[in-house]
Amino acid sequence: MSGQSLSRRHFLKTSGMVGGGIVVAVALPGCAFNGPHPIEVTDAGFIPNAFLQIAPDNKITFYCPSDEMGQGIRTGLATIIGEELDVDPANMLVQAAGSHEDYNNPEFRVQGTGGSNAVRVFYQPLRQVGADTRALLLNAAALDLGIPSEQLLTDDGFIVAGDRRYPYGDFVDTASSLEMPVATSLKAPSNFQYIGADAPRVDALAKATGTASFGIDTDLPGMVYAVVVRPPVAGSKALKFDDSAARIAPGVLDIVAVSSGIAVVAERYWQAYQAAKKITVDWEKRPLSSVTSTQVRQDLSAALEANDDTESSHVGDPEKAFAEADRILETDYYAPFLAHAPMEPLNATLRITENGADLWTGVQFVGAAQGVLERLTGLPRGDIKIHNQFLGGGFGRRATLSHIVEVAEIAMSIDKPVQLLWSREDDLRHGFYRPAAMMKIKAAANNEGRITAWQARRSGANITAQTMKNALPGVLPSLPTGLLNGLVGAMDYVFDNWAVDASSVEGLHETYSLPSYRVSHASVDHGLPTTFWRSVGHSYTSFAVESMMDELAEARQIDPVALRLKNLEDKPRMKNVVAQAGRLMAAMTVPENHHLGFAAHSSFGTDVAQIAQVSVTDGNIRVHKVTCVVDCGLAVNPDIVRAQLEGAVMFALTATLYGQIDLDDGAVVQSNFHNYPILRMNESPAVDVVIINSQTPPTGIGEPGVPPLAPAVANAVYRATGQRLRDLPLKLA
Amino acid sequence: MITFSLNGDSVSFKGDPNTPLLWVIRDDFKLKGSKFGCGAGLCGACTMHLDGAAIKTCVLPVAAAANKKVTTIEGLGNPEALHPLQAAWVKHNVPQCGYCQSGQIMAAAALIADKPDASSDDIDQAMSGNICRCGCYPRIKAAIASVAGNSQSYDATAVEATS
Repeated sequence: MSGQSLSRRHFLKTSGMVGGGIVVAVALPGCAFNGPHPIEVTDAGFIPNAFLQIAPDNKITFYCPSDEMGQGIRTGLATIIGEELDVDPANMLVQAAGSHEDYNNPEFRVQGTGGSNAVRVFYQPLRQVGADTRALLLNAAALDLGIPSEQLLTDDGFIVAGDRRYPYGDFVDTASSLEMPVATSLKAPSNFQYIGADAPRVDALAKATGTASFGIDTDLPGMVYAVVVRPPVAGSKALKFDDSAARIAPGVLDIVAVSSGIAVVAERYWQAYQAAKKITVDWEKRPLSSVTSTQVRQDLSAALEANDDTESSHVGDPEKAFAEADRILETDYYAPFLAHAPMEPLNATLRITENGADLWTGVQFVGAAQGVLERLTGLPRGDIKIHNQFLGGGFGRRATLSHIVEVAEIAMSIDKPVQLLWSREDDLRHGFYRPAAMMKIKAAANNEGRITAWQARRSGANITAQTMKNALPGVLPSLPTGLLNGLVGAMDYVFDNWAVDASSVEGLHETYSLPSYRVSHASVDHGLPTTFWRSVGHSYTSFAVESMMDELAEARQIDPVALRLKNLEDKPRMKNVVAQAGRLMAAMTVPENHHLGFAAHSSFGTDVAQIAQVSVTDGNIRVHKVTCVVDCGLAVNPDIVRAQLEGAVMFALTATLYGQIDLDDGAVVQSNFHNYPILRMNESPAVDVVIINSQTPPTGIGEPGVPPLAPAVANAVYRATGQRLRDLPLKLA
Repeated sequence: MITFSLNGDSVSFKGDPNTPLLWVIRDDFKLKGSKFGCGAGLCGACTMHLDGAAIKTCVLPVAAAANKKVTTIEGLGNPEALHPLQAAWVKHNVPQCGYCQSGQIMAAAALIADKPDASSDDIDQAMSGNICRCGCYPRIKAAIASVAGNSQSYDATAVEATS
């Protein structure tokens, strides 16, 4: 055995005997281990750390710390740990981790999934866990077999000694008595056999057979169902309500007021849903109650006209550069509120007993869900278990905690396990939205296409303060409510008056090398709840920036790709992506009535260019094909990278052609898929994906495919029709 | 009391005959593979077969299933005995979040049973009632086309470039 001493940041802890093995835990750098081990061991097995379980029968389980919402993270992280452990991810059982600090996202410092960061932040730590565990198994095998470990090899879950193969499981008893090696050297990328190779998703079979379990599929003995009647205008409280007809409806067990509305509890979901319609409520009026979408757009414009903005960042002296420019373009671009509309409506099932609380749901923020239950139930954190299921879509919507708060309030008042389920109408009308954004871009390029001055101003709501209002009670469960409210109020004040919320302006200048620029922001918040929406600020800033790039190219009579290349001098990775995409575009032959549009955008550390092939017939925009070029560093599973780009194109095309949440008297107008349409197969383009071959560490892939799509389509529509559409969704005159 | 065949077994339901078939299958018979997506017949997540035809069950009163054959994703195939479409779904790495895929597969299975050599246009038409928010359409289409024996109708190959 290695005999290396245990460091403070990477330690081994023996916490109890389990069957034939022992339970030990290893903490990731930057994480602190405390409390009981998160893995509930039901059979004999060796658990060398929070992530792995090796059973004597050689069943190898990986407990995935990130939430699977379709992005392929269970496959990706299993590939990363499996590479160094030397186990084919296809031969592992991959399960969602329980709720425990050991699974904290190293960047968020709380257990959660978002920001396209999981592969990036777990790439090195999980390789290390895999390598250390493999070294431990080699040490154990060396002792048991009497062969020096240098003469042993490993292959897909087996120790190999000459022509003999021994399952890892044979050595778990000995391994459990040894110290875990630390800082074992990692494989050189040239020796990778799983990382970088196309491989099946570990969840494909379950999802193709209806056996994958989502939160909504939870079914507990004695479980009852709840739906909540919510106010048409976000945040309104019920002044009075009449539930007399609902109380006598079939199956109804109870009706309870909760902070978000009025909950109806029944024996069956359908009964609760029917009874809820019989409740009449007088809701209070709020400032939001008189707001319309038209007014939101006007207010966002007015804030910029009135120069209400605060500087976010600047380089050089853009005002001087504008004064010296011979031609300046200045235009407004607008993007509306959007809903996430994940296919699985929000739901949560909570059982509270004298022994603690168990929550089954789909949430992107497991740590905060546990914290908010700690705050609401008063139970010790260790007695609250989150059984996170497959998420039927996330896109940022499941980073909020509204469904967790609701189910806790209901469960605490009815003393039975309860499943809360939102309808699609609830989802679209009572959600958290991508904020609307007005963007005013002023730009000057010289006659060679080099941008000399750039000013980008955005007005609209900020999501960070709102999101923290929602999340802080869970992130800081023991902070007294008064202090919490003070903290939230201070955050609002800061973003309204002093500082710019980075997520409100991200993407307004970063893609290009600009010799002078100024980015600023005016906060205008009408009170509609907002949050992260796949690619966040980039989802609208890219539309403005990349439309402007084509407008500049036209003003200077320069090819749009050439103009972009002129402005990527110190961005070599994006310059390569744009150059490669430009070559593909130049070589494309398309039917006479098809037109190509180009856009590129950097987000989440990843560079993406897209070429949209578009036709316009009788005022209808049809996107036939989208070609993507992406540099996301090393592609851990290239097929999943392609799938994320394909899906991002469809998600973004829905927003580009249809996506719009409107307000009338403060209430969301859209209610279901008839008036909030989602792209369907017969409208969907073919997607080609080119992955730049790279050995640099992986960067994000879940979100970066979204931002370039809208401007690529708008730029193609301009070529097809001569109409420059600066409002999303794109509507021809 | 309403009696119908559920994946080959005769079953009976005693509750409200207006209850949508989806909720009877999920909450009373505990088959959770069919999903709730919109409650309005707009997204197809709840698609099952009623006497072999694909039907959206979130708006279908259970009474309409009386004395008929209901097939759910659990009755189409299982991990040990996959329907050819399920095998194609795995081979093409179709699912992302996976929530809509039971409905997608049931809609596709009805199409393939009706038109074993379904064309690209047939696939578009038959599948346009099923929403996938993750945007798996290119792979869904490729998987169905591979079973329909016309894989050439959709070219899913991607070119690789080197920096």
